[in-house]
Amino acid sequence: MSSHDVMPEMSLYQPVRVEDAIGIANQFADRGWLVGGGQDTYGWLKDRAKSADALIDLKGIESMRGVKETADGIEIGALVTLTEITKDPIIAQRYPLLAQAAGRVASPQIRNVGTIAGNVSQDVRCWYYRRGLNCYRAGGNLCYADTPEGMNREHAIFNASRCVAVTPSDTGPALVALEAQMVINNASGQRVVAAEEFFVGPNLDIQNTTVLRPGDILTAVRIPSKWANAQFYFEKVADRNAWDFALVSLSAVMRVNNGVIEDSRIVVGAVQATPRRLTEVEQAVRGKARNDSTADSIGDLASRTANPLNYNHFKMPLMDNLVKRALRGQA
Amino acid sequence: MTYMHIGKDFTPPDVEAKVTGAARYAEDFKKDGMVFARLLTSPIPAGRVVSIDASAALAMPGVLGIFTADDLPEAKPPANPALAKEWVTYIGQPILAVAAESDFLAEEALSKIVVEYQRRPFVVDPLDTLVEGGPDPYPMGNTLIRNSGEAAAGTTASGTDVGRIKWSIDQVTAFRNGREPMGAEFGSEWEYGDLAAQFAACSTVIEEPFVTIGQPHHSLESRTGMAYWENGKCYFHGSLQSHTVGHNALAGMLEMDPANLVFINENTGGGFGSKIFPYPVMAVTGRFARALNRPVQLRITRDEEFYIGSARSGMQGWIKIGLKENGRVGAVDVAIINDAGSGGGGSGSSSAEHISIMFQPEAMRFRGLSLYTNTTPRGAQRGPGQNEMAAVLAPMMDKAANLAGLDRVAFRRTNAPRMDGKIGERQGGISSSYMPEAIDKAAEMFNWQQKIAQPKQISATKVRGIGVGQGFHTAGANGYDGLIRIAPDGTIYLHTGVGNLGTYSYAAVVRAAAEALQCNWDNCVVVHGNSDLNLPHSTYQGGSNTIFTETRSSHVAALDIIEKMKEIAMAEFGGSTADYSIGEERVFLTSDSSKGMSYGEAAQKAIEMGGKYSGMEYPENINATTQRSVQAMAGTGLIGVAKDLLPRSGAVPGMAIAFVEIELDKETGKFEILDYSAVAECGTVVHPQGLSQAMNGGGVWGFGMAQSERHVYDPQNGLPANVGLYQSKPPTYLDVPLNMNTVGMDMPDPQSPVGARGIGEPAQGCAVAALMSAFSDALDGHLFNRTPVTADMIVNHVAQNGFNTGNLKTNTF
Amino acid sequence: MDIIRYRKDVWGEEVILGVSWDLLWVIAVTAFLLLAAHAIFMAALAKKKAMPSAEGKRVHRHDAIDRAFHWIMAGSVLVLIFTGIAPIIGIRVSWLNIHWIAGLVLSFVCIFHTIRALFWQDFKSMLLGPADFKEPFDESIKPGKYSFEQKGMHWAMTVLVVAVIATGITLLLHIDTPWWDRPSVDDEGTLGIWFLLHGTATLGLIAFTAIHIYFALRPEKRFYTRSMVKGWISEDELKENHDTNKWKQD
Repeated sequence: MSSHDVMPEMSLYQPVRVEDAIGIANQFADRGWLVGGGQDTYGWLKDRAKSADALIDLKGIESMRGVKETADGIEIGALVTLTEITKDPIIAQRYPLLAQAAGRVASPQIRNVGTIAGNVSQDVRCWYYRRGLNCYRAGGNLCYADTPEGMNREHAIFNASRCVAVTPSDTGPALVALEAQMVINNASGQRVVAAEEFFVGPNLDIQNTTVLRPGDILTAVRIPSKWANAQFYFEKVADRNAWDFALVSLSAVMRVNNGVIEDSRIVVGAVQATPRRLTEVEQAVRGKARNDSTADSIGDLASRTANPLNYNHFKMPLMDNLVKRALRGQA
Repeated sequence: MTYMHIGKDFTPPDVEAKVTGAARYAEDFKKDGMVFARLLTSPIPAGRVVSIDASAALAMPGVLGIFTADDLPEAKPPANPALAKEWVTYIGQPILAVAAESDFLAEEALSKIVVEYQRRPFVVDPLDTLVEGGPDPYPMGNTLIRNSGEAAAGTTASGTDVGRIKWSIDQVTAFRNGREPMGAEFGSEWEYGDLAAQFAACSTVIEEPFVTIGQPHHSLESRTGMAYWENGKCYFHGSLQSHTVGHNALAGMLEMDPANLVFINENTGGGFGSKIFPYPVMAVTGRFARALNRPVQLRITRDEEFYIGSARSGMQGWIKIGLKENGRVGAVDVAIINDAGSGGGGSGSSSAEHISIMFQPEAMRFRGLSLYTNTTPRGAQRGPGQNEMAAVLAPMMDKAANLAGLDRVAFRRTNAPRMDGKIGERQGGISSSYMPEAIDKAAEMFNWQQKIAQPKQISATKVRGIGVGQGFHTAGANGYDGLIRIAPDGTIYLHTGVGNLGTYSYAAVVRAAAEALQCNWDNCVVVHGNSDLNLPHSTYQGGSNTIFTETRSSHVAALDIIEKMKEIAMAEFGGSTADYSIGEERVFLTSDSSKGMSYGEAAQKAIEMGGKYSGMEYPENINATTQRSVQAMAGTGLIGVAKDLLPRSGAVPGMAIAFVEIELDKETGKFEILDYSAVAECGTVVHPQGLSQAMNGGGVWGFGMAQSERHVYDPQNGLPANVGLYQSKPPTYLDVPLNMNTVGMDMPDPQSPVGARGIGEPAQGCAVAALMSAFSDALDGHLFNRTPVTADMIVNHVAQNGFNTGNLKTNTF
Repeated sequence: MDIIRYRKDVWGEEVILGVSWDLLWVIAVTAFLLLAAHAIFMAALAKKKAMPSAEGKRVHRHDAIDRAFHWIMAGSVLVLIFTGIAPIIGIRVSWLNIHWIAGLVLSFVCIFHTIRALFWQDFKSMLLGPADFKEPFDESIKPGKYSFEQKGMHWAMTVLVVAVIATGITLLLHIDTPWWDRPSVDDEGTLGIWFLLHGTATLGLIAFTAIHIYFALRPEKRFYTRSMVKGWISEDELKENHDTNKWKQD
């Protein structure tokens, strides 16, 4: 076993136009590695747990920066940093859910360089996988976490399919709640994918967490005006209040009229490989008041179908509690 | 007593460099022709190296060689080998080093080396090896036994062997279930008083199991070292928390004359007990450099630091506590299994000592057993034994006090050590104690009575928890040397062989000399960090030890130099030394202050007079290290040098008491610390800012120990889960209170010339204990019987889903 | 091109991971080329013979329950193949549950078929004896109920399906199902060998399934396919292709 402190040799490309980046990404296909903030890049490569022939640094592409108003909401450039999201006046005013979620990512230092695209595209944080073991997700034959003695406190309670890792993204659930659209460019053109469809579970693709394929570049995130200025709730529970991944997080948007929930989208992070939308809860609370009584009436509806592992049963009551807090509107 | 320097804040000389980043650590040093070495480590938890094929690596241009266990003296178990071969006992254990012209090449070479291993059974939980039929971490057993053997040349362990102790399934089952393991064999045992009679006299008796999980040191500065050999001398840039006390040991590891070893270590980025003495990998750095005849930098990466950087031992235990009607602790019976990792050992006896001094039980029995596991080697970590005991003891003592109807603070005050306090097996005395007064002071700072009168329920989901906890560590020794030189220009060089961990105590302790010399601090230069700068034999930098021990040695050196200055003045102006005084950096006739000379003039005279004044002669009782330093400086000024022979008896206790108020969210298991107040009972405060830093730093670590830091090992394959710093979860600034209210009792210890005792370790112990106590209080007295208490455990408890880890499992979630 | 894929196990030791999926393409291309060559040969060079009439008296060949078995088996094999190779070739489909459920279905129908064949059917009619091997080389020899090719295909499929089922059930024991949770794996090398066998058997199954489908669709064999749907062949087809003395009617 060897440990590394030095980056491996690889080519570095620093395109300044999306088209050029796509061309390079296409050329190298799965041997190319897109890098924005680099927070889920350098560790992998340094540790030799993953490798690439070419590093395609996107930071020079101006068109992927900035937050713009559009006819129906806003468009956030893929390279917008998490710190910029927390400070952007439009996001703070209309979509504080996203600002709060971005503000709870990791630490200030990481938020200063980490981008919105990187945060939603990052790989899972299962410690076995990150160690470089050849588990299912790494193309192997087994999962080390999902065993009678596996150390799986942080792992999935829903929709595990061989791999039991969870989505580590704090902004992902918020974007799913806000019905964001992910703008993806490749050599064939542009496609727009709903955030809900952007994330991929291990049942569909055990080696990727998103629909992005080699040659694809996530260039922007669009947030429609539908949920602008709606009522929000965000909470992330982690062991530590900074520099930590969620044990469970919750992002909720609600259209409340005269105290009654007309519509809502409630999405939970860190309970399965993708942000988990609680459609049953959304339906159950439709037309009900946003208050303690409604919160209490939900009971364990959110976690009822969970399939916990050996050390993560706590995620069930924790998730139920966060749902109740979202419905109460307060911690 | 009014002091000139003691008790006053000052700016330690290395602060600016630390703040600006100019401070240099071992890895920052480069040397012409330096080559880069890297480690290949074990991927298996237990086994042996069958063969090593490095031919492909050695064939690479720029790869200079490999260094294996065959190049070192054989280190027999349980000695922690620098490089393993026959006994591979944990994942991450170094197997060999490879050197190349660049660090990139060295890493590439590692990937070309093929090591064949033979695997052996392994174990990561001490109770799994303790049970009959359970796997042993070493082929020859699971525990350390003492013999009279000598350590192999160049290795660090002596007089030890690996033996085997097993318990029956019934005994282990009873222990796991919180009952006394009747008839079980232990490795060590002590007892005082009539235990049975005292328990019989108790009106409240509780029995509890407990688990504390060890955690890595994760020193921010890893164990990177750089060494080169020139003209028969070895220059070694390393990272130790001690300086001169490690010198001879390092020379021994390199099998060389200590006089030819130059150890350079001006700054150390954390050691926490793991760098008190030289550690095995230093042997590789120095010897590899000698073998290659090139400067070698052996860089230790972050995850290698996790593996070889030592860790706190965990405990699995059972305790029985008896309280008498009068509130006194009548009897304590405690049994502790320590997780010694693959080497090192637990500190069960120190854990028991914590109980014995903090609660002064009238009778007590300790039984302990330190068992090896195939996890990282364990070693001293801030208050080893005492702090983990403080953590689990606090809520258990709360339970006992509550059952007896006693106020938790009053109960602690009743049992706190007084000046006649006793400690441990031999019930020896202590140098002093103002612990009852410290408890009063802290309770007042915290507003204890007002705080406990508050409603428990803060909101629908949040509850209040009020906790109190105590910390203790033995905090002093004697017999080390002090060394001072005054140059003819009047500059006062205060030499110290204490390491520089960042606590600034290396500078604080020599202020005792400045105090005695009544000199301006601006005219003083602290000399440290490089054995070529002529350092005295100083104590190891082990937290609380330094202040007590080294203020004494600094003081005696100052007394020596003052006496010599008076003799020099006497030679000039007549009379006897008793007729002379010092002041404003002059020595003068007390009756006529115009008759005297400056310190600088005295130094010039000393050079002219020679002999003991200029260091040409020196006391025979000083350590060889100090002798070499004096020899090197002889003739360059006035030399003050002496061994600390001041009177000392009993243990020197560093103690602290802390109070915590938390707001606990029962829906998330998260909490906020609303108030933290702590008082250090550490004698006279030498450096207020240093004390504040020690209390805050220790407190933060205590919070981490209580809520998040722990080893996690997968028992299926022996893999550790928290190799990375972020995975080990030390607290962040958002996990600790904005303000921590800490003060010192500032009552002098009679055995210190400046009244000072140390406080490093108890600062952590009192914080973790208070927070654990607060968790229990917030949850209506529920005992988790384990540290850390993580958010998931609280959520599980509140949900009453029965999924909290039980059965004394350790190194797990 | 690799034959076997290797990986480092949890302790860094190199172990077998499974069969190389490069072979999937080899099998696909080889099967396609062979079958195309056969089709061309048959179309261009083989002696053209008049097709026997499907009209006239009908001879019973397969019971309904056997036909059902065949098609359930065929369906489950095709589902297994598709769900097995979809993730390999990059088709995103939630395949795992479908895969093992199809595997269980296949297992149950095979058990059913085996029992039925042993106790209720003329098991000997499917046995492949030394005499059968003369059949391809002597046009005068006509088979009983099953031709040499059919018996060969049957037994090849039997071996492959049994191999796939046996290895598949072993692998099933290593994943979460409604009945059990996945266990720890002590020896990743052994697990890799199971994957290797499963993968190898799968490749064989793919090849023989392709051959089987090809012949089922060939004009001169299509009446067999019809018999597997409707249960009968015509008397003309019987006389043209079989020796009625050897075909004992059930």
